[in-house]
Amino acid sequence: MAFSPDYLYAGLISLLVGLDRTAVLQLLICRPIVAAPLTGWVLGDSQLGLQAGILLELLWLGRLPVGAAIPPDDTQIAVGGTALALVMGAGGVEDLPLLLLSLLVALPLGKCGQFFDHLARLGNGRLLVWAEKDLHLGRPLAATRWHLLGLVFFALASLGTYLGIVLPGSLLLPWLAPYLLPQVGESAPWLFLAFPLVGTAVFLGTLRSRRILALYLLAFFAVYLLREGF
Amino acid sequence: MLPLGVRVRVLLRLPLLQASWNYERMQSLGVLYILFPALRLIYRDEDLVRACQRHLAYFNTHPFMAAPLLGTVLALEEGGETAVGGAMDVDEFKAMCMAPFAAMGDALFWGGLRPFAAVLALLLAVSGFWWAPLAFLLLFNLPHGVAFIAGLGGGYRQRLGMIERIQGYRLPDLAVRCKEGTGLLLGALSAILVGDTLTLAEVPPIWGAGVLLSVLLLGGLGRLGVSTLILILFMSAALMIVCG
Repeated sequence: MAFSPDYLYAGLISLLVGLDRTAVLQLLICRPIVAAPLTGWVLGDSQLGLQAGILLELLWLGRLPVGAAIPPDDTQIAVGGTALALVMGAGGVEDLPLLLLSLLVALPLGKCGQFFDHLARLGNGRLLVWAEKDLHLGRPLAATRWHLLGLVFFALASLGTYLGIVLPGSLLLPWLAPYLLPQVGESAPWLFLAFPLVGTAVFLGTLRSRRILALYLLAFFAVYLLREGF
Repeated sequence: MLPLGVRVRVLLRLPLLQASWNYERMQSLGVLYILFPALRLIYRDEDLVRACQRHLAYFNTHPFMAAPLLGTVLALEEGGETAVGGAMDVDEFKAMCMAPFAAMGDALFWGGLRPFAAVLALLLAVSGFWWAPLAFLLLFNLPHGVAFIAGLGGGYRQRLGMIERIQGYRLPDLAVRCKEGTGLLLGALSAILVGDTLTLAEVPPIWGAGVLLSVLLLGGLGRLGVSTLILILFMSAALMIVCG
């Protein structure tokens, strides 16, 4: 695997957007529709990044970051998948098959994100214990400072997930590409449709609302019939 | 009234509420970190330690809805309503409000506004507008910013009246409207994507209905608990076999 400094730049983005996911601000720069074009822009091709964002955004949109639930890390999949495609030589939207293959490799690898996030939250539990100890010792200011160490744990979790995608991904892609890239190329338009439609289907299924399903069908048929000119 | 500088410091710390999120007491250490500049002004020595220990109790709410809640907490702390005798003590107030506020925030921001803004941005992106991600950020973060800044100030000024004020906004109804809007936008997005793909593949448009059926089928599988990852990998493999 040849090292490219682009992996380093993408790693810095993974830290930034990874912290936005839970620990800081939550401006939603962590969403694939933002994180992937941002990665693409820094690595020199924002259009390809935007395509990655379009493909990934809907997949886990219905999974809410509520309570102790840890949704799949679509942030690092977006950053890692875009970085893999660009470092492997994708350039411009005509290289959509390589982007699709990179994302198909990044998707299962991204499962490690939930493990790293879980570790960060366990680590944060220790901070609580240390803060309580400081309060027992009559040091309230010191107790509050432990809170900021949580940022380091979340940052490490983001970096761990990014590396968990990019390291094996950069080994797998050159090996898989000769076998799978022609098939991905042949089916690229359908794959480009499948990603958002699977996300849409799961999202509608999660809502469990007949009214929203009816609105979806109504809008689909209205726009489809208008565009296709029946 | 707390000095403006202290209230600004609390406001600037608000975005860090979840920095030490943990399974044991979730956002409790974050609450202490946010309130500390004010607590330090209100209490001294042993009282300060006791106040800090109180705020290390379990706390979990929606991060944006924490702003009005913690604004009221500041006012109650300042008024010394930490024991029986006040209208409601701080700990009772936090325990009573965090779950309903979490439910409202989750439904509105995560379940309503986020998908709506995302699908609108996707519609813009597939229509060729490169600034779609910026539109997404703007659409989501305007209400987010209002919830933070006006929420903290409003909670502080209106004290317990803040609850009635929030109820008056009918946020759950707003969340439902957002979800319905998302359904409409998703329908339009699907129609555009399906139409473009069928045209590119030179397939008769009537097959659009078939694609729609597959969406319903996949949605059913999702409801049965089949993971999104399995669905997308299986679909991709099937398409590669059929088309390749």
